[in-house]
Amino acid sequence: MPGVYFTTTEFLDDAKSAAKDRGMPGIRTLALPADKYYVARGSKEVLQPIADQFFAKMVDDLTRPLTAEEAKPSQAQLLHESANIKVTGKDFMDASVKVNEMFLESRWADGLPIVPPTPELVEAMEAGTTLLPQKVIGQVAPKSGTATVEKIAINSVMAGAKPEYFPVILAAMEGLTDKHYDLTHVMASTGSFTPVVIVDGPIAKELNFNSGIGMLGIGWQANSTVGRAIQLSLLNLGQTWPQVNFMGLTGRLEGYTFYTFSEDTAKSPWEPYNVSQGFQAGGSTVTVSSAGNPQVFGGGAVAPWTAQGVIDQMVATIKTRGVAWPHAQKHIVVLHPDCAVELANKGYTRKSLQEYLYEQTRVPYEKVSGGGAAFGEGSEEALIRASIADGRIRPDRAQIFLDNLKPGGRVPVVQSPDDFHIVVAGGSPGYDLLFTYPGTNWAHQTVKITGATLTTAGK
Amino acid sequence: MKRNSNWLLGIALLAAGLCTAAAASAQVTLEVMNPRGEIPPPKTLGISPRGGALDGKKIVLIDNGKYGASNFLDVLADMIKQKYPAATVVMYPKPAAQTITDLPKWYPTVKQQGDLFVFGVGD
Repeated sequence: MPGVYFTTTEFLDDAKSAAKDRGMPGIRTLALPADKYYVARGSKEVLQPIADQFFAKMVDDLTRPLTAEEAKPSQAQLLHESANIKVTGKDFMDASVKVNEMFLESRWADGLPIVPPTPELVEAMEAGTTLLPQKVIGQVAPKSGTATVEKIAINSVMAGAKPEYFPVILAAMEGLTDKHYDLTHVMASTGSFTPVVIVDGPIAKELNFNSGIGMLGIGWQANSTVGRAIQLSLLNLGQTWPQVNFMGLTGRLEGYTFYTFSEDTAKSPWEPYNVSQGFQAGGSTVTVSSAGNPQVFGGGAVAPWTAQGVIDQMVATIKTRGVAWPHAQKHIVVLHPDCAVELANKGYTRKSLQEYLYEQTRVPYEKVSGGGAAFGEGSEEALIRASIADGRIRPDRAQIFLDNLKPGGRVPVVQSPDDFHIVVAGGSPGYDLLFTYPGTNWAHQTVKITGATLTTAGK
Repeated sequence: MKRNSNWLLGIALLAAGLCTAAAASAQVTLEVMNPRGEIPPPKTLGISPRGGALDGKKIVLIDNGKYGASNFLDVLADMIKQKYPAATVVMYPKPAAQTITDLPKWYPTVKQQGDLFVFGVGD
């Protein structure tokens, strides 16, 4: 069916890249001037001059005969970028600087210095796992690049990770490339969503992950380089680049290392998070989860707070966000240990706290509807009913929504209490964090860490 | 931690060896591995042939759901009706909350709506 695709000048490269990725590089695309379109789009009158400018081009694109290349484009070839590269300098430092320059120019690095991934260092990294170098861990969106153990090892060396971290990185990549995980959204969206990476179980302590004061900051090699290894693996295997096909408008606030930390199982009053997810007690896991930037609650070292007050503030915040996409929405609630202990002393278990959050965040039906319209996609109620109809809201949860989509009803913001993921981490004193994901598909996965050769845990 | 010590020793030996080589030859060559992976190529398709003037055609305007797209397409619809009165405009918005994983089920329905399509506004 002949057609024309309108985008804007800021997204033209992204559109061309996506068209090529999907096997139709010749699709006729018109780019409206971004600096004019976005400020004009709320008004037909203001849009009229832009439409006037592009109407004839649109008609031409709909009617002009195809060129030979448009009709029968040359077939894309397998991109095979496995050959080693040799870089010569006047000394080691000079050669290392040249490697860094070449990698950044090639869009293989993130702007910070990288460790040159020599075969010797990559081999040492691979020795951290029992998996063979050519084993495929998954395909990385948006270009569906093949993530082998060897390729992830190369990126892990670049990130400055130690070989004993490697099984954690591999497990995280397994989660992110799982068929149920919508990786495309976090890799490309204008929303600048960021993976949260939570390491759980005894391997966290063995590798010296920080779960206390400064857990999202600098100074802990495990937190910093595991997150960066995942970031570089996604960059290079999914082949994204800002302003080309990663269109996060602000960029990720934790763009280099993602939100990488471990749970403080020693100070938690509850079972480890991974046990709540059905994993065996004493096992090590990594959880990967797409999220927006966290909101901070509590008083820290400077203001009074109560645990119930923190939870109630979170409830109020969540309720303001509406219920447009409950089929995929989830919240990661990171409680600092003092807050978690106070809640436990009040009688909360992790499960009862999840149920409390689920019940308290339900939105009165009378307040449902307008939120989705802000995105131009119809009412919230229509979105929920569509999600029920196509099965994205599970059949065992659908009736709850249907029963409450009427006057007097209270509509859940998530499918079930399990969509509140409660993790204990932070300092004493500390703050509490709420990571929310408002995406349209599932993007949360916990994976068991296995195959470790250099640690006692994660075997 | 014995393996870790070995790894650090490896880096030190590598650097030391390279520095030694530098002293001897005044140049150092670093061999590094490519961090990118293979990308299985999709089957590349041509775009659909065009069939001449718009008169008599059914033109499907697809609102992708982004804020302002419906306004822009409404303007185009009015212009089409004015300049090509023999053409028909069909407004056919993309279903709400759809994402790329769902679209393959939806694309075939577009073809049932008309002869040509205009999709916008992508970001």
